[in-house]
Amino acid sequence: MSHDPIQLERIQRWMQSVITHPDGIEAAIDSDAARSEIDVTAKDVERVITRSQALDSIERLRVYGNAYYARLLECLREEYPALVHAVGQDTFDGFAFGYLQQYPSTSYTLAQLGRSFPQYLSETRPKRDESQGGPDWADFLIDIARLERSYSEVFDGPGGEDERLLEADDLTAIAPEQWPQARLIPVECLRLLALSYPAHDYATAVRKQHQPAPPQPSLTCLAISRRDYIVRRRAVSAQEFDVLQSLADGHTVGQAIEHAASDMNAEQVDELAANLRQWFTRWATAGYFRRLDVAQ
Amino acid sequence: MTPARLGQDHLGLGVGLRSKHYGHILKQQPDVDWFEIISENYMDSRGKPRYVLEQIAERYPIVMHGVSLSIGSTDPLDIEYLDKLRCLAGAVDAHWVSDHVCWTGVAGRNAHDLLPIPFNDETLRHVVERIRTVQDILERPLMLENPSSYVTFADSTMTEWEFLTRMTEETDCGLLLDVNNVYVSSVNHDFDPIEYLHNIPHERVVQFHLAGHTNCRTHLIDTHDGHVIDPVWELYRLAHELTGGASTLLEWDARIPEFPVLHQEVLKAKHYMGAQLPDTPFADHVEDETFAGAPSSVPHPATFVVAEVE
Repeated sequence: MSHDPIQLERIQRWMQSVITHPDGIEAAIDSDAARSEIDVTAKDVERVITRSQALDSIERLRVYGNAYYARLLECLREEYPALVHAVGQDTFDGFAFGYLQQYPSTSYTLAQLGRSFPQYLSETRPKRDESQGGPDWADFLIDIARLERSYSEVFDGPGGEDERLLEADDLTAIAPEQWPQARLIPVECLRLLALSYPAHDYATAVRKQHQPAPPQPSLTCLAISRRDYIVRRRAVSAQEFDVLQSLADGHTVGQAIEHAASDMNAEQVDELAANLRQWFTRWATAGYFRRLDVAQ
Repeated sequence: MTPARLGQDHLGLGVGLRSKHYGHILKQQPDVDWFEIISENYMDSRGKPRYVLEQIAERYPIVMHGVSLSIGSTDPLDIEYLDKLRCLAGAVDAHWVSDHVCWTGVAGRNAHDLLPIPFNDETLRHVVERIRTVQDILERPLMLENPSSYVTFADSTMTEWEFLTRMTEETDCGLLLDVNNVYVSSVNHDFDPIEYLHNIPHERVVQFHLAGHTNCRTHLIDTHDGHVIDPVWELYRLAHELTGGASTLLEWDARIPEFPVLHQEVLKAKHYMGAQLPDTPFADHVEDETFAGAPSSVPHPATFVVAEVE
């Protein structure tokens, strides 16, 4: 064989297509993709990969082929333990196997390996049976995946540990007439998730090595953040969630309240007003906001 | 004349920093000489891993060990990745930065494996050129490690040790000699590990790696999941004698034991450093090689960091 630089590129493209092929090494070598790089068959692969005293070329390549999926499946299982528990490891591995073919890693870090897994599950979910009404099993699995991915991102992403965050006392310094125009600036690690199931309780039970049964569907609004480098999640009411979401989207306090109250009756508006002070205090205590900007 | 270890410090006996041991290290401040980190687990981190690393870096020497440089790939070098490596090295004042003589993917993909390259003149030229670029960007000493491998190429025209010798001499980079990898590859590729050790550039060996592996009877897999076996310790003894000694690091990445077990394992190295006597007794016997017979055993070049949730 010649040893021009293209040959190295061809060897690498060939080897990558062979060891990542879903149907095994022999099928991979005989595939069009591999043969377009190096035109050898499984029978004459020794022209590329030499044998050892103990193993032939196919068996040697199989070490890499086995390791490729095994290693990446292991990482995904570690990132999505509640999803593994929900469907069982074999089914989870089936999902992950399909995912790795659809979304192979393009990052230098394994931290990004599972980033599109919730999206993949949404794209490949079975068609919802509309006659059933309400969320189904697939929605539950997607909820868990979204939650567990959020945990990963919040855990290792930017947090507020190094800065002074908004405190409850800061709120009392704002004049009442300034509130409607004020904007609350969230910490970068704040994630707001609206789920169809209480997946957070389920995930916590799995992480505590309990054996939770799948929960009944129930609209679940979560505020996920980080304090002292540990991910914290809290279920909030739908009203509180709406206001938080508006504020996180950059709206003023006045706009956020107006938006939340738009579909409410008078009684609900009164309840909202009564809750606001408590919510703001709770958000400050939880460290959801970096600061409060008041329009001058 | 090239100085021993390319003039780099002999840091002593260290272990790989793994998230499982964060609490123990911060609380107990164990008497470890130095830590090696997996660069990719920290270069983007803005959470606990990075926070813990900064505290540890204040007390212990740090060396950075990467798994995604992909120096042998025919894809372009990832400049953003290299910039992040340089920034992290500055932040933790890394003594040097290391990675492997391998490729991890092409066409924009990452297999997250340390894939072997054919050892020939064209590959050598390709790798040498890329090493020089990386050295210019990193502005820190670069060491490259011999990986364990499971295939050899019909295209190879030289031995691994000849390739490493020419590569390090042409670039002036250092060698991270993984003694376990020499042993694993020697079994997998039917070469003599002693001949390997005699023919590498000894003065360029800046660091040693030690680890456990899995014996699948027909081949060995570099699983980093157990004790270092006796034949590897004997190779370490020879490598130590030939090089005059270098910073030594134990890797343990699967079925990770409690920290004292890990620390004790690397301290065994003192028994193989010529006349220097150990000041710590063995906590357990030196284990014989075990036959796991597990064909699905998986090498772990990188570790995944699991989120901590309240």
